[in-house]
Amino acid sequence: MDAENYFDWTEKLFDPDNVFAKPEALKGIRVLELCTRVFGPVTADLLADLGAEVIKIELPGVGDLMRYVAPRGFFYKNISPAFTHMNHNKYHVAIDIRKPKGAELLKQLVARSDVLVENFRPGTMDRWGVGYRQLKEVNPRLVYQANSGFGQWSAYRDRPSYDATSQAMSGFSATTGFPGRPPLKIGIWIGDYTGALFATLGILAALYARNKTGSGQMIDVSQGESLIRIQDWTWLLWSLFGKERRRVGNVDVAMVPSGVFRAKDGFVAVSAVDDGSFQGLCDAMEADELQDDAEMESLSGRLKDENQEKIYARLSRWVAGCTVRQVEDAGRRHGFSAQRVASARDHYDDEHLRFRKAVWEFEDPLYGPVVEYGPGPKFSETPGRMRWIAKPVGFHNDYVFRNLLGLDSEAVKALEDEGIVGAWADRIGAKPPDDWDGQRGRIF
Amino acid sequence: MNDDKTMSWFEWAKAHSDPRVAARSSEALDDLLVLDVSYASFGGLTASSVLAELGARVIRIEPPGGDPAREFSPFGLMHHDTGLAYLAEGRNKHHITLDLEVDEGREIFKKLAAHADVIIETFEPGFLDTLGIGYRQLRDINSRLIYAALHTYGQFGPKAREGRQASEIANQAYSGLIYINGEPEDADRSPHAVPTKTGSWYGWYAEGLFAAYGILAALLYRQQSGRGQMVDVSGAECIMKFIDYNLGWYHMGGGVKERLGNYDPSVFPYTFIQCKDGYTFMAAYNEEAFATLMEIIGRPELTQDPRFSTFMKRTSYESEEALQRILEEWSLQYTVDEVIDKVGEAIAEKEGRAAAVVTGKVCRPSQTFEEQNWWDRGVFRKIQDPVYGELSLQGPVWKMTGTPPRIKWVCRPVGADNEAVYGRLLGLGPSDLQRLRAQGTI
Repeated sequence: MDAENYFDWTEKLFDPDNVFAKPEALKGIRVLELCTRVFGPVTADLLADLGAEVIKIELPGVGDLMRYVAPRGFFYKNISPAFTHMNHNKYHVAIDIRKPKGAELLKQLVARSDVLVENFRPGTMDRWGVGYRQLKEVNPRLVYQANSGFGQWSAYRDRPSYDATSQAMSGFSATTGFPGRPPLKIGIWIGDYTGALFATLGILAALYARNKTGSGQMIDVSQGESLIRIQDWTWLLWSLFGKERRRVGNVDVAMVPSGVFRAKDGFVAVSAVDDGSFQGLCDAMEADELQDDAEMESLSGRLKDENQEKIYARLSRWVAGCTVRQVEDAGRRHGFSAQRVASARDHYDDEHLRFRKAVWEFEDPLYGPVVEYGPGPKFSETPGRMRWIAKPVGFHNDYVFRNLLGLDSEAVKALEDEGIVGAWADRIGAKPPDDWDGQRGRIF
Repeated sequence: MNDDKTMSWFEWAKAHSDPRVAARSSEALDDLLVLDVSYASFGGLTASSVLAELGARVIRIEPPGGDPAREFSPFGLMHHDTGLAYLAEGRNKHHITLDLEVDEGREIFKKLAAHADVIIETFEPGFLDTLGIGYRQLRDINSRLIYAALHTYGQFGPKAREGRQASEIANQAYSGLIYINGEPEDADRSPHAVPTKTGSWYGWYAEGLFAAYGILAALLYRQQSGRGQMVDVSGAECIMKFIDYNLGWYHMGGGVKERLGNYDPSVFPYTFIQCKDGYTFMAAYNEEAFATLMEIIGRPELTQDPRFSTFMKRTSYESEEALQRILEEWSLQYTVDEVIDKVGEAIAEKEGRAAAVVTGKVCRPSQTFEEQNWWDRGVFRKIQDPVYGELSLQGPVWKMTGTPPRIKWVCRPVGADNEAVYGRLLGLGPSDLQRLRAQGTI
C-alpha cells in the first residue's frame, strides 16, 4: 500500500533542510532565566531549543560565572565554548535584582512571562522579595522552577553543591569505574545536566496543566535526587536482596553481553542481549562452544556468573583481534549492536549527524560560523533549531528593555548610572570580540 | 493565603510540595492515554514512567510472552518472576499483551491507537511501518496522535538506513560520553585505564527522559494547534547535548576533550580525594577558595607556589597530579566525615568566594539509601504493592505545588490488565478475550 521506502518517507517528513519553514513547539512561551553555571542555564537552554523566548538575566559586569570556565583556558573571540554550549538562542540582559529598582524591573518582566528558572541557594529569591510567593501575586500563571543541590526544604538546603557533590552523594560515582580503583567522577557534569532535564520536564508538564487550569506553580528539583532516580536496579538490589552494587568496569551484569571492549585501533561498544542478536554475535565470533551450550540460549542462562564470565572473555578476545570497523561491520551483517566509542572529532565529521542536524553548523551574527549539537529529539511538525550562541553580558539590554519594559535609552542610561542595569565588564568571557564594531549582531 | 505571611520560605515550600500529601492535588497529565509498546528497552520504559508519574494513564503493550526487559536483572535475580530493573520502571502502568505480528493483533492495535494521545515505540526503524501500524498509517486514523520512536540511529539519515541495531551501550558510545569518561591510558595499558561506561544505564535514561521532553513539547503544540506529530529520539544524540564543550572546543580551537579520570581540564581542585575510610569530593578552584583550602590542610604557603599560584596554573596536568598528592597526604589522616566537618567549620567563618570549598561524601549505594534526608524528601519510598508486596525504591523527582507526581503501584504481571483495558476501551467481553487468548493474540 505504502510503496515509498520508509527512510525516503521519514527524510521528507522531517526534512532537515527546511526546519525554519515549520512552526516551533514552544513559540510564545517566555522564560526568565536567573541562573549561573550549568544546572539552571541548561534548563532554560532546553526550552530555547524548542522555540521558547529565553531572557537570561545576569549581574551587570561579570555575569554568569560559567563564562570563565574554559577548557585549558581556551577562549574563542573572548567567549568560552563551555559557556556557548549551554546558552543558545537566548536574549542576554543584565539587571541587579538584589536592588529594589532591579527587583521592580524583574516583576515587570514576570508579569509578562510564563516561566522563571532560578538556581540560587534555597530561600534567596524569597529574601530578596522576588520568591515564588511574591511573584505569583504578580502573575498567578507563572511556572516557577527552583533548581538546587538538595531541594528547597531539604535538611541540607544550605549546603553548597556542585555537580560532583551530587555524583558522590547519590551513589552514581561509586558504581562507575573498575573494581579496585577509585570511584569515578563522570567526565560530564551529569548531575547538573540530568537535573536540568528533569526540571525541564516539570516545567513542560506544568505548562500543560496551566493550559487547562489557568494556574501556575512552583517546582523544586535537586541534582542529587535526579541522579538517584535514574539508577535503575541499584536500590531494589539493596532493599530486596541486601546486595551492594559495585563497580564492575565496562561490562553489564544485568544484560549479557553488553559492554565496551578494546579493539586493535580503538574501543567499541558491543551489545547482543536478545536471543537472536546473541546467536548473530556467536556466528560472527565463530564461537561454536557458546552456541552449542544450551544454557546460553536464553538471557537467564547468560546472566549466570560463570556464563557471563565465559561470554565476556570470549568477546574481549574476539574484539581484540579486530579493528573497530570490522566489529561494526560484523554487527550490521550478523544483527547485533556495535558502535565505535566516538569522540568530538568523530562527531564533527559524521555525515549522519550532520544530515540530521544533530551536529549543526550555522552562522552566528557576532561570532561567525559555529558548530553546536542541535536539539535532542527531532520533530516532524515543530523541529527545534539553533539561531545563535551566547552573547556578551547585557548584549540585548536595549532590545529587551525597549520592547518589554518600554524604557527608552535615556531611562536605561539612568538605571545604568545607578548600577541597576549594565553591560559587560572589560574581561575575557564577558565582553564582545576584540574586533567588534559596536553594531554587529545587535538587534532592534 | 495568609500562611504566606507567617511561614518561612522553607516551611511554605514543604507544606505545599511535600510528596506525602500529593494525593490531595490534581495531576498534570490526567487527561492523557499513552500506549507504551517499547520492546527490550528501558528508554521507552523511562519515557512512559515520567508520563505515568505525572498522571497519564499508561498502557504497556507486551508480546504475549512478556517483554524481554522483564528479564534484565543483575545476576538474573528475580522477584515474583520479574527483574529488578523492570520493577523500578513499571510504576503506575497497566499491562496488557498483544501479538502485533498477526492480523487481528494489528487491528486491535489500530483501535487502541485511535484512542491514544501518545505512542512510544523502540523497534528497529520501519518495523511497525512494515506491519502497517507505524506513524505513516496511524496518523490517518488519529491526526492528534503523538508518536515517539526511540532508536540509537534515529528514524532517518544514512546510518538509520544501514539497519544498525540500537542498544543502551551504543547510545553511550556514540554520544561521546564513554570517550571522555575514565582514567587516561597508562604506560602498561592497564585494563582499567580505558574509556569507561557509566555504571547505571545512562544510555537509556537519557533517551527516555528526552523522549518525554519531546512528547510534552509536542503535547503543548497540540493544545494550540490540534495536531499531532512524530518525534524521533536518538539516545546518542540526546546525550550529546550534555557532552560539555566537546564540539564547540573542537570547532573553535581544535581541542578534543579527553578522559582525565577524576581530574578536570578547566578547574582544580575539583576531584575525589581518598580518606581513611573512603573518598570525598573536594573542590576549591577560585583563588579565594583555594586559599581557604590550603589553610585547612595547614599549607598556606602553597598559594604562592609557582605550580599553584593562579587558577590557570592549577589546571595543568602536572599541577593537578601534584596537588592531588598533597591533598591526599592530608586527607588520608582522617575519615571522610572528619574531612567534611573540617571544611564545614572553616567555611562557616568565611564569606563569598572564600567559602566556596565544596565537598560531598562518595557514598556506596547502601550509604545513599540509608541517608534520612532522601527519605524525608520522598526520593526513596516504601510502596505496598498488591502483587509485589512491600518494595523500597526511587520516587519521582519533582516537588510541585500544583500538580505533584506520585506512585500508585509498582508493577503488574504480564497481561494482568487485559480484561480491564480491552473491556473498557474496546468493549471486548470475556468470550472475545477467551477467543483471542486461545489464538495466542493476547
